[in-house]
Amino acid sequence: MAKRTEVLVSGFGGQGVVRIGQTLSTAAVYQGLNTTMLVSHGTETRGGYVRTQVVMASESIDSPVVENPDYFIALSKAAYNRFISLVKEGTVIYDPAYVEPDESLPIKQVPLAARDTAVKELGRELYANAVVLGAMARMMAGLVDKENILKAMLERIPRFHEENKRAFELGYALMPKE
Amino acid sequence: MRRTLDTGNAAITEGAIIAGCRLFAGYPITPATEIAENMSRRLPQVGGYYVQAEDEMTALHICIGGSLGGLKTMTATSGPGFILYADPMGWALGSEIPLVVVNAQRVGPVSGITGAPGQGEFYMSRYPTQGGNYETIVLAPNSVQEAFSITVEAFYLAERFRMPVIILADQLVTDGWESLSIPETPEEVEAMGLKVIPRRINEGPEFYPATDEIDIPPVVLGHNTDAACSDWTPTPEGYDTEEVDFQHKHAYRLIYKVRNHKDLITRYESYFVDDNPDLILVAYGSPSRVVISAVKQAREKGLKVGALRLISLWPFPDEIFKVPAKYLSVELNYDGQLVREVQRAMPKGSEVHFFGKCGELPTVAELEEMMQALLAGKEIKARNWEWEAW
Amino acid sequence: MDYLATKYLRPRKIPSTACSGCGLGQAHKKVVKAIDELGLGIGDVIWGTGIGCAGRQTFNTWKGDNFAGTHGRAYAIATGLRMALAPDKKIIMTVGDGDAFGIGFLHLLNCARRNVGMTVIVLDNLGYQSTGGQYGWTTPRGYRTDSSPYGMREPNWTQEGRDVLNILREAGATFLARYTSLQGQEAVEAIKKAIMNNGFSLVHMPYPCVTNFAERALGTRKPVEIYKWFGEHTCSMHEKGPDDFAFRTGIYHDASNSRPEFSEYMKTWVAEIQRRYS
Repeated sequence: MAKRTEVLVSGFGGQGVVRIGQTLSTAAVYQGLNTTMLVSHGTETRGGYVRTQVVMASESIDSPVVENPDYFIALSKAAYNRFISLVKEGTVIYDPAYVEPDESLPIKQVPLAARDTAVKELGRELYANAVVLGAMARMMAGLVDKENILKAMLERIPRFHEENKRAFELGYALMPKE
Repeated sequence: MRRTLDTGNAAITEGAIIAGCRLFAGYPITPATEIAENMSRRLPQVGGYYVQAEDEMTALHICIGGSLGGLKTMTATSGPGFILYADPMGWALGSEIPLVVVNAQRVGPVSGITGAPGQGEFYMSRYPTQGGNYETIVLAPNSVQEAFSITVEAFYLAERFRMPVIILADQLVTDGWESLSIPETPEEVEAMGLKVIPRRINEGPEFYPATDEIDIPPVVLGHNTDAACSDWTPTPEGYDTEEVDFQHKHAYRLIYKVRNHKDLITRYESYFVDDNPDLILVAYGSPSRVVISAVKQAREKGLKVGALRLISLWPFPDEIFKVPAKYLSVELNYDGQLVREVQRAMPKGSEVHFFGKCGELPTVAELEEMMQALLAGKEIKARNWEWEAW
Repeated sequence: MDYLATKYLRPRKIPSTACSGCGLGQAHKKVVKAIDELGLGIGDVIWGTGIGCAGRQTFNTWKGDNFAGTHGRAYAIATGLRMALAPDKKIIMTVGDGDAFGIGFLHLLNCARRNVGMTVIVLDNLGYQSTGGQYGWTTPRGYRTDSSPYGMREPNWTQEGRDVLNILREAGATFLARYTSLQGQEAVEAIKKAIMNNGFSLVHMPYPCVTNFAERALGTRKPVEIYKWFGEHTCSMHEKGPDDFAFRTGIYHDASNSRPEFSEYMKTWVAEIQRRYS
């Protein structure tokens, strides 16, 4: 894998931002990689954001700060606006239900209809983060195995394993392989 | 070896359990609450006790009592609780009670911001109580894995020096998640370079000898040793005394048992300091992670910079500041604390600079800009909070 | 005291450096007598003390193990110590009124709530006498001290319907009594019951301070005057006593061994968890 891979996940509270970060970071452990994950909360009032910064690398990790994300998962408008300037060479994965991307930016931006897929196919928005994880499993193929992400996800989610697995597969199918 | 993704709080808990901690008394406070929670779950599984105290002062007193009874004990808090340790900390230092205290530093002063990292108790960990006439041992992890190993080490030093050892962590180390390897057998513990020594019992009759020796067993009550320990200046037998001669001997011991065995305590990492770099960054705790990244990247770009990462903070490692250079202390506070010791310790012909930030880590980009400016001989302002702009 | 002193106390600390006429020695002797009458040996007792006259004068007088806490904190230390000690070891503490009912009251209440096995003998000289004679939390209303030159005006813990022992009972203490140091075997018997209670016991024992309290409050350092004043103000807990102020004495609350002792139930419970997870 590359020397260092950075993932930034941000959205509002309740979207599973921390769970997505934890799952990817746990999967990195299963993959035999080193990993760090920082969770931070913007102003903890309405309109704020939750952010997780995940770093994974085969060698030891010094700075745990995500400054040049390889993947920026933007799940809210506020999060997109706040962190989009960090993305230089990485890929933005955004949920069009919440984010209207700035098309003028010279970066790769991939829509992922996580909320709508979860609502339409499984009846609950709750499963949107599993859709995101499935999509990331496709995006990050070669870095982290799909099986490891799935295993980590099921470990971090206590209930509704069947539905979450389905959501994961739907997300995987939605995303073109990198 | 068990490899997981976990927090510094969990790592400290597991380190304490492996080191033999069997009593934890604490009081909930962000960002150290999880240590208390983990301890309340883990300790009973290994036959240990968790006590939730009425305040932090009580918590540390309960730890003192437990240690006096022969248990290895620990408490954990953040700045607003750390200040309440002042009373028992004096007792523990003066009566030479082995125990471990964790401070997950957050932004202050006072209650400040609960979930944001700070480094405001650098000096307070040197002077955690009144009266002077003592040294402290303070260790500062910068990762989850190191939070684990430093906790084991803190218990080891506490037993050898028979004194409280302070782990000065910060919110990013305690609340941050990271891949963590936890040894599962004594052989694996040893293979990690970690040592565990059991509690020994001082048989008396000299409980407080006027010597700088370490490895003297501490006072343990309840074993028919006719021991005595108190907050008063002790005679060697533990009698309270008003004679200054005994005070002198007691102070000598508390200061020189640490100073004369500093080599057993001092730990640091250095990066690129062997070719007389023009600029050396100094940091401890989580900011040091960014400092190391920044310096490695700067070297790749040809900048002649180095870094010193302090692992033990007190006694302060003056002797590692060998190279005359520009020094830049990077800290999670705006007033500059570590920088004052750097200024004192740096060799002739050096100059000192400070970069402070609170609530979140500096970035590699910020540090690089800083390094470029300093190497170009420019004056730097404390970034991020230029008062004029407000 | 000679027989008891030889048997239980350290020659280096006896006689103490207390002022002439001080009632502390009487009170101290009652505690040692109770220990003796219970047949306890030197190794059976860990003796704790606090700050002030009571703490300083009794610290390290016990031939066995001793500890002294900083002001008001000996109860918190004893809580941790209790967790580590063998159950048959007794923790007996001689502390002052400022230590127990002032600066350490929070800890004392929580020890009562947890029912931590310890016997606290509060040797009460009616104020802060080791610092020269300031009023405290048991100084009778109206009496003059160095910090109440016009008479003590602050509500205390022992008058106007308040009794510190009631607060401790509500907090969960399982044995509570009050006797003055001038009283005889009945006080010793109460201390014995306190020690035999496997839980939190407290005996409140007011004693005369000749040098500071008597001098300011009564205008004399003649021991006979303060001893007389003590006698006049002592009554049974069932009596009203004199109008201005009374030491209402007796066994206030004896619920000995009615609640599990803190360290014992913690040990039982931990053993259960350990069994479940092994």
